[in-house]
Amino acid sequence: MEVKISVKNLEAYYGKNKVLKNVSLDIPKNKVLAVIGPSGCGKSTFLRCLNRMHEVVGGTITGSIMLDGEDLTKGDPVLLRKRLGMVFQKPNPFPTMSIFNNVAAGLKLNGVRSKKVLTPVVEKCLKQAALWDEVKDNLNDSGANISGGQQQRLCIARTLAVDPEVILMDEPASALDPISTTKIEDLIFELKKNYTIVIVTHNMQQAARVSDYTAFFYLGELIEFDTTTKIFTSPAKKQTEDYVRGRFG
Amino acid sequence: MREHFEQEIDNLKTNLIKMASLVDEQVERVITALEKGNIELCKGIKAKDLEIDAYDNLIQTQCENILALFQPVTVDLRFIISALMINNQLERCGDIAVNISQRVKKTAEFFSLISEAQIIEMGKHAREMLKNAIDSFINNDSDLANKVIASDEIVDNLNKHTFKFLVSKMQTNPELIEPCAHLIVLTRHVERLADHATNIAEDLVFYVEARIITHKKKLEKLSDGN
Repeated sequence: MEVKISVKNLEAYYGKNKVLKNVSLDIPKNKVLAVIGPSGCGKSTFLRCLNRMHEVVGGTITGSIMLDGEDLTKGDPVLLRKRLGMVFQKPNPFPTMSIFNNVAAGLKLNGVRSKKVLTPVVEKCLKQAALWDEVKDNLNDSGANISGGQQQRLCIARTLAVDPEVILMDEPASALDPISTTKIEDLIFELKKNYTIVIVTHNMQQAARVSDYTAFFYLGELIEFDTTTKIFTSPAKKQTEDYVRGRFG
Repeated sequence: MREHFEQEIDNLKTNLIKMASLVDEQVERVITALEKGNIELCKGIKAKDLEIDAYDNLIQTQCENILALFQPVTVDLRFIISALMINNQLERCGDIAVNISQRVKKTAEFFSLISEAQIIEMGKHAREMLKNAIDSFINNDSDLANKVIASDEIVDNLNKHTFKFLVSKMQTNPELIEPCAHLIVLTRHVERLADHATNIAEDLVFYVEARIITHKKKLEKLSDGN
């Protein structure tokens, strides 16, 4: 197992309130890690620590997070976020921008203006996000005028455009209907060939379907981390078993 | 939702226990018929088997519904899987009871031959194994299940002995060929009964201990050979 991100003794705080307690785990490269746990267990905080969004909302951390051996907690967070793209629960395309410009936004921010350069990248990313066939004739339409499921795939295409190494997904399908959810899940399966993916989800079946590894958090602690098969068939900890069986949370 | 799920699981287990009790009664009757040469006990066995078949369908439907509606995981999933497997084994045991009763009817007058061939002893062992396998399931008792698994060898050895004995009888007494042929088929059914009891015990171990032990010995032998 090749490790992409290595988290050691991570503790996260909001003020004096400790919301993550001594979390250590290795996230394997080109795999999908599902982070599960009841509301308030720290799973979204864990995700936000990985791309330093936690500090944007006033939080602090101790411990280390290494990306390919490089300390993520140091350096420019903006540059870091190019390497770790994020997809949120609610699709958030830029409403005043066209579909094309939504995907191109990250590159334009980084100074790429040439249509010759942008066009193939936009096409490639929309294809990767399994959206190209549905929008190729309407690239100049507003990104807000497509369905919720399409908007979420547009956001994924936008994330892919800046060529990240890791994609962080915070409940990416919780606001979508079952067909759109299936498309996102199929997409995750395709994307893991090239990217390492960390997905926070409340949907146990989704975690079981899409991930290779699962981390179960409870009250800010990492209770268990193992292959998804193990977690959903015979987990080592009773708390994990009770949670995935729906006995609490 | 969890309460609803627990209720469905309870219903499923209740039906499995009812089915197991029916199978147990059927097997007890045919083995007693064999022991006593009492063909009266074989009456009604076939008709009663229809009730077992009805439970088979009901339990399969319940399992399908639970899987579709609740998507169970971990121990709950293992329970449904083992319920499906145990249901299948019990249904086969019901059929075997019918088969044994038919052979008992045809061989009851050869009681001394049955006794000499140790078929009664074999029948008692197989019946005890099935009873213990059912008890292990009712009480989630993997220790008892392991005892059942260990005792399968006794029935297998008795079966080998019985087969040899009956073949030698056929060779020396051609007039006994027909009853001996029936008894060979009968012992085959008894041996299968013990196998199904073993399978039920293995399914119980899978449910309780999350370990697949089916075919373990054979696979170990195979890997030792390699």
